[in-house]
Amino acid sequence: MRHFRTLLAHELRSAALSWNTWAAGGLFLALMGGIHFFALVDATRAPNARTPVEATLWFFWLPLLCVLPLLTMRTFAEERRSGTLAALLTTPASAAAVVWAKFLSVWTVWVVFWLLFTAFPVLAAQRLGGPDATRLGDPAALWGGLCFIAGSGLLHAAVGILCSCVTRSAALAALLAFICLLALTAAGGAMETLPIESWEWLGWMREPAAHLRTFGHLQDFADGILDSRPIVLYGTGTLLCLGLAVLAVEGQE
Amino acid sequence: MNDDAPSPEAAVVAEKLTKRYGSLTAVEDLSFSVAPGEIVGFLGPNGAGKSTTMRILSGTMAGTSGRASIWGVSVALDPAGAKRHLAYMPENNPLPEDLRVEEYLNLRARLKDVAPDQVGARVRRVMEDCDLTRRASGRLIGQLSKGFRQRVGIADALLAEPRVVILDEPTIGLDPHQILGIRELIRSLRGKMAVLISSHILHEVEQVCDKVVIINRGRLVAQGRTEELRRELLPALAFSVATRADAPAMLAACRAADPAAEVTFLGETDGWRSYRVTLPPASPARETLAGSLVAAGIALREIAEERFGLEEIFLAATRRAPGEGRRP
Repeated sequence: MRHFRTLLAHELRSAALSWNTWAAGGLFLALMGGIHFFALVDATRAPNARTPVEATLWFFWLPLLCVLPLLTMRTFAEERRSGTLAALLTTPASAAAVVWAKFLSVWTVWVVFWLLFTAFPVLAAQRLGGPDATRLGDPAALWGGLCFIAGSGLLHAAVGILCSCVTRSAALAALLAFICLLALTAAGGAMETLPIESWEWLGWMREPAAHLRTFGHLQDFADGILDSRPIVLYGTGTLLCLGLAVLAVEGQE
Repeated sequence: MNDDAPSPEAAVVAEKLTKRYGSLTAVEDLSFSVAPGEIVGFLGPNGAGKSTTMRILSGTMAGTSGRASIWGVSVALDPAGAKRHLAYMPENNPLPEDLRVEEYLNLRARLKDVAPDQVGARVRRVMEDCDLTRRASGRLIGQLSKGFRQRVGIADALLAEPRVVILDEPTIGLDPHQILGIRELIRSLRGKMAVLISSHILHEVEQVCDKVVIINRGRLVAQGRTEELRRELLPALAFSVATRADAPAMLAACRAADPAAEVTFLGETDGWRSYRVTLPPASPARETLAGSLVAAGIALREIAEERFGLEEIFLAATRRAPGEGRRP
């Protein structure tokens, strides 16, 4: 992991100066601002078991599928296409350092986007709250949900990075990331709704499917339930994706 | 330089390097070496395997078999160690478009293990050496002309004062003034760094390089100093002669000097006829030809021994079958 800090500082600086990041950030805030606005409007119409923050975080999959691929698509695909990745690898910097630096840069930007999102519920609570300020701001659900998004974001960013490593086209990398993230997010829910018990040949999938319940994990975190199994799942998934990404970068010719 | 380790015998060693892509063999059994401080031209027709070889030596591509080492460090077994001694500028010189020249060189210096307190001074020095300070230092790389981009690539290569510099077509796309500048820059590296340089501009290679390695269809066809290759590949002696004498008289006079002499009529201008006289290698007539012609009553306006350039050597080497070349 030689030169990791140098590369990370460079990646963060590049991300901060990139129009791509600003465009993705704008899209993210527009999406989440819009969703939160409608959640607030909905909360004023009828009593709802969910707070506006919970209802908004429930849509975390939307920026995950639309914004995160925009952040990861150029990381390796663009550099492979232009040849700057090969030039970078002629220095003593290792492929692992390059992959981890890009990964942590993307993840940091992703987390910063979500931290910016917290301004919406905080402002809503301050301006509109009155006696309902705590319910509007719902800090427990907000920070619990953000912890889940940051934790699962490690795996999601790693998936995007891996997708960017296997192609020279940024557009294809974004599409691949979209499909993989959609499968990852929807798989657990789909498995839960399918009548697996009645299909003997699919019975073995019940246990693994139970671990992939992404929305269940979000609810657990938002409720303050800390389960080690999703942490292990996202941690090992992240390491696996990044390991494969390092192999893909080392093997590029 | 980046460490005080003793110099190995060869700065670059390629030993039986082979690279195959499925059934296609790009490089086969290629062996050559570059001594420390030596500038070597790496020549071959398009598709001969030059860039593939350079990429294997730089560690950006794995060979199928064979051994490559940089400053005594195996590229395959210790790629990071080999890269510490090496700078490689690929053919198309890929550079990040969105960085300024100085920022880019600062980043590369840190990645190339230049001591943090020396980064600024080192960057300023290579920018001055490559004439980047005045017109390019603050500009985005994406806005630079081809010539300045090449200079940035060369500045990057020299940044960490490596033991070995590999430059793939460093003067491609440059104007004559820029070529002269780069040539002088490369020449100034003689004795300090081992330089392996590929170029299609043979005149430039002849001007700059101590020796040349010529490959064709992935195999070595010749290597050595230009003079040695001239003797090996083009051993015949040739003279250009301008005179008013006709061809039979010229042939008779030349055959008197050496019975194996050949005379070729080249053309006539204002009554002066031009001939090429070819003598066998090591012919004693080399020193007596002019005297023999005068003795035969032939009035000479000009007689000069033709020196075969690298172009003729390259053509002769690439015409012969691959594998006939000398081994190191």
